[in-house]
Parts: sequence; C-alpha cells; structure tokens
Amino acid sequence: MAEELDPRASSQRDLDSLRTLKQAIDSVRARKAPGTDESMVQFRGVHKAFGEHVVLDDFNIDLKKGQTSVIIGPSGAGKSVFLKLLVGLMEPDKGQILVDGVDVTRANETQLFALRKRIGMMFQDGALFDSLTVGENVAFPLQRHTNKRPGEIQDLVAGRLEQVGLPGIEDRMPSEISGGMRKRVSFARAIIMEPEIVLFDEPNSGLDPMMSDEIDALIRRMKAELGITFVVISHDIVGTFRVADSISMLYNGQLVAHGRPGELLNAPQDIVRSFLARNIALPKQKGEPT
Amino acid sequence: MTDTMVLFLRRVGAYGLFFVDCMRSSWRHGVRWQRVMEQAESLGVRAFPVLAIMAIFVGTNLAIQGFGAFRSLGAQHLLGMFVALAGVREVCPLLAGTMVAAKGGTEMTAQLAVMRTKEQIDALEVMAVDPRAELVTPSLLAILIVLPALTIIGIALSIFSALVVAVLQLHVDVGQFVAFCFEYIEMRDLVAALVKSLAFGAVIATVSGYFGFFSERGPAGVGRATNRAVVVMCIVCVCINFILSAVFYG
Repeated sequence: MAEELDPRASSQRDLDSLRTLKQAIDSVRARKAPGTDESMVQFRGVHKAFGEHVVLDDFNIDLKKGQTSVIIGPSGAGKSVFLKLLVGLMEPDKGQILVDGVDVTRANETQLFALRKRIGMMFQDGALFDSLTVGENVAFPLQRHTNKRPGEIQDLVAGRLEQVGLPGIEDRMPSEISGGMRKRVSFARAIIMEPEIVLFDEPNSGLDPMMSDEIDALIRRMKAELGITFVVISHDIVGTFRVADSISMLYNGQLVAHGRPGELLNAPQDIVRSFLARNIALPKQKGEPT
Repeated sequence: MTDTMVLFLRRVGAYGLFFVDCMRSSWRHGVRWQRVMEQAESLGVRAFPVLAIMAIFVGTNLAIQGFGAFRSLGAQHLLGMFVALAGVREVCPLLAGTMVAAKGGTEMTAQLAVMRTKEQIDALEVMAVDPRAELVTPSLLAILIVLPALTIIGIALSIFSALVVAVLQLHVDVGQFVAFCFEYIEMRDLVAALVKSLAFGAVIATVSGYFGFFSERGPAGVGRATNRAVVVMCIVCVCINFILSAVFYG
C-alpha cells in the first residue's frame, strides 16, 4: 500500500509499462510484412505472338517481393506463356522482363542458369521424371547443383516431403501416386533448393475440390513458413482468393486488372466482374472471399 | 513447291543448330559418363538379340544367293569372298544401323517426345539443367560406342552362318570358303565399316533426339515424331552409306 502511494514507485511502473509497450511495437514493426514494395518480377512492354496470334501485347506487370501474386484469366489468355517468358523458356518478340533485377531477355546462358537456381516451379501435372523414384525426383536439383553428401540430401528430401504432407513416400514411383500427390511432390522439388521465388502453373487443375483445398492450404502454409515470393497461374477463382496477396487478370494478351483481392471484386471492367462473378458464386454463398 | 523447299531447308537448318547446341552443351556442362555407360549397356543388350537373328539369316541368304549366282559361272569357290565383301562392306553396317535406329532411335524419340509433352524437359531447364547435355548427349555417345561393336558382331555372325550353310547345305569346301573370305577382306573394309557405323550412330542419335526434342505435344505428337524420325533416319543412313561407299571404293 505504501509502495502504491510512493510517487517514485508509480513512475517506475509507468516507465516499465511504456518500455513493454515500446518493445511490443518494435516487435510488430520488425515482423516481416506480407510483401514489400520491392519488385520481384517486372514485365515492361512485352509482346509475344505465335504467327499471327498475339498472346501478349504491350504487356506490363509488376509483382512484389514476398507476396503471393496470382495471375488469372480465361484459357488462352497467355498465362502459361507469361510463366515461360518469366523463366526464359521462351523469348519475347520485344520488351523487357526483369526477375529480381536480372533482365531475362538479355541474360546469357550462365546468367539464366544462375537465376533459375533461385527459382522453383511446380508444374501443372508435376513434371516428375517417370524413371526416378519420388525421392530421387525431389533430390534431383540438390544432386545437380550442390556438393551435399547423400545422407544429407536424404534428410533434406525427407524433410521437404514431410513439409508437403507426404512423409515416407521416397521409394514410390511417380506412376504409383495420385495427381494431387504428384503436385505436392513437385512442390517439394520446387522448394528443395530454398528458392527466392516459386512459380505455380495451375496448381488446382485436374483436382477434385477436396484435393484443391489441400493444395491451397499447402500454398498458404508454405508461404507463411518460407516467406518467399509465390507467383501462381490459375483460373480457379476460389483458390485464387484463398491464397492471393495480389491478383492480376489477363485478357486478350493484356493486363486488364491488378490489385488486392478486395479491389478486384470492385473492379470497374465488365470482363473482370463477369469473370469473377461466374467463378466466385459458390464461395460468396459461403461467405468467401473475405 | 517453294514452300516445301523452304520448310525443308528450315528443318535442315534447325537440325544443324540442334546438333551444334548438343556439342556445345556437352562441352560446357560436361558428359555424365555413368549415364553414357548405362545407356550403352542397355542399348547393346536390347539390340543384340535382334541383330544376331538378322545377321545370321542375312548370312545364310547371302550364301544361298551367292552360291546360285557363282555356280552358273562355275566359280563356287568364290562364295567366301562374296559373303565377306557384301557383309563387311555394305550389309552388316547398314543392318546394325537399322537395328539401332529401330530399337534405340525410336525409343529415344518417343521418350523425349513424352518428356516434352509432360513438361519434363521444361522442368529440367527450370532446374538449371541443360536437357541436351542431360538427355541427348549420353544417348549419342552410347550409340557411338555400341554401334561399331554391334557392326563387328554382325559381320562375324553373318560370315559364320554363311559358312555353316555353305558347308552343310551347299557342300562348299570349308577351307576354300575361309581362305577366299579372309583373302579378300582388307583393313580398309573394316575401317570403312566402322566409319559407316559411327556416321550412322551420329545420324541416329541426333535425328531421333531432334524429332523427340521438338515434338508437338500430346499422343499424336509423340507418334508423328517417332514416325518422322524413323523415316528420316533410314533415308539419311542410306544416303550416307552411298556417299561413304563412293569415298572408300568409288
């Protein structure tokens, strides 16, 4: 009681409280924000055509580091071409593509390979090598690009497979696992080298709704655990709103909308609203997206 | 007609560039010798039984046909020479090449085409692994190792089977057959046979690699790529056989 009345003790308590509050504020400030303003992927005036069919026309986009950016659009809008241009599997007819500052269009083979070592990619159907076991598939990049000992590689592979929810399937062949499992193994292979950016080509295509949900949950969980940049190509609107920090819509070879999920829902363009409304009818009834 | 010619020249140019790219990739990224030896072993083991059967029956037929032709001239003793020269200079190198094209070449095209369809070649590139050095060069080297060996085995089996038929069925003197056989085979013939087999091997590996690597996607694309590869391999090998025969014997 005497202590409570002591003005020196009271001011000491206030000071301590202030210190605690300041520490809490600093801690929140120090915590990594979901994305930064720094660009990870930039397309500047990119044009790509196959014969007379124009796929991307004066295409510009800026995807931020540390975010999950989802590119949506109807089939044939140029989403897959966008991904292939990003990793240098295709060359644009004109324009500039920058990935973390590296100009993919001007990079020589050595520079391109160095950049690709920092990129992981989950392919639409997994793209696992049929002649290798699941474990060998996941270990493949490590065996090619690192000097790690076999035991160390085995441990890392087991760890990644566990992370994607498939522990102990190292010895199975890709033909012995389901489509959803193949995608998850492909994901484990994509992140085994601890890349700075992971690309997903239609992660939900060909999957039943439950498996689709699992893949979305996996992407969200991995994003939280790894804190790296994810670029997702999708036409699954439900999944898109579950995983996206930002959404871009491609239509007729051009970027017709770009913004946060909430912003896209109120986009003025008819094509965006019509595309989203057609696809998000179900989640809206369930109270999604939020 | 002009369009067809332009398309043909484009394809020849693309094939040439692919060949150069394969060589450059191997130079830059090194050769995975373990994979080369695995493929050589696998190809050799798979091609040998078919080649052996073909070589044996080619030898028997050379003996029967040669005997008929030489008997009408009263020169049956030259049968050994005929079998040896036909087998070593022309038939066996082409036969071994055809067998390797049929077994190894088509398999390579189909495998690469399926890998292209399933995006596995793209996956290699995204993982910073050169698919030419990884997939095409080991097959090329494996075929270059296996084909000369198969050619020599084919020559030996065809001559032996011809000898058996000549002696047991046609009652040709064994000593005469063997003497004329080895008297007329020169070192130049063996060198020519090996050079032909190496040239066929390079054509088989790169043509099958090219068509598989750049195949259209889907099952139809795989089928078309394999079909085109076989046709082109056979035509090019026959043309090369003519050119090399002209160079060595013309």
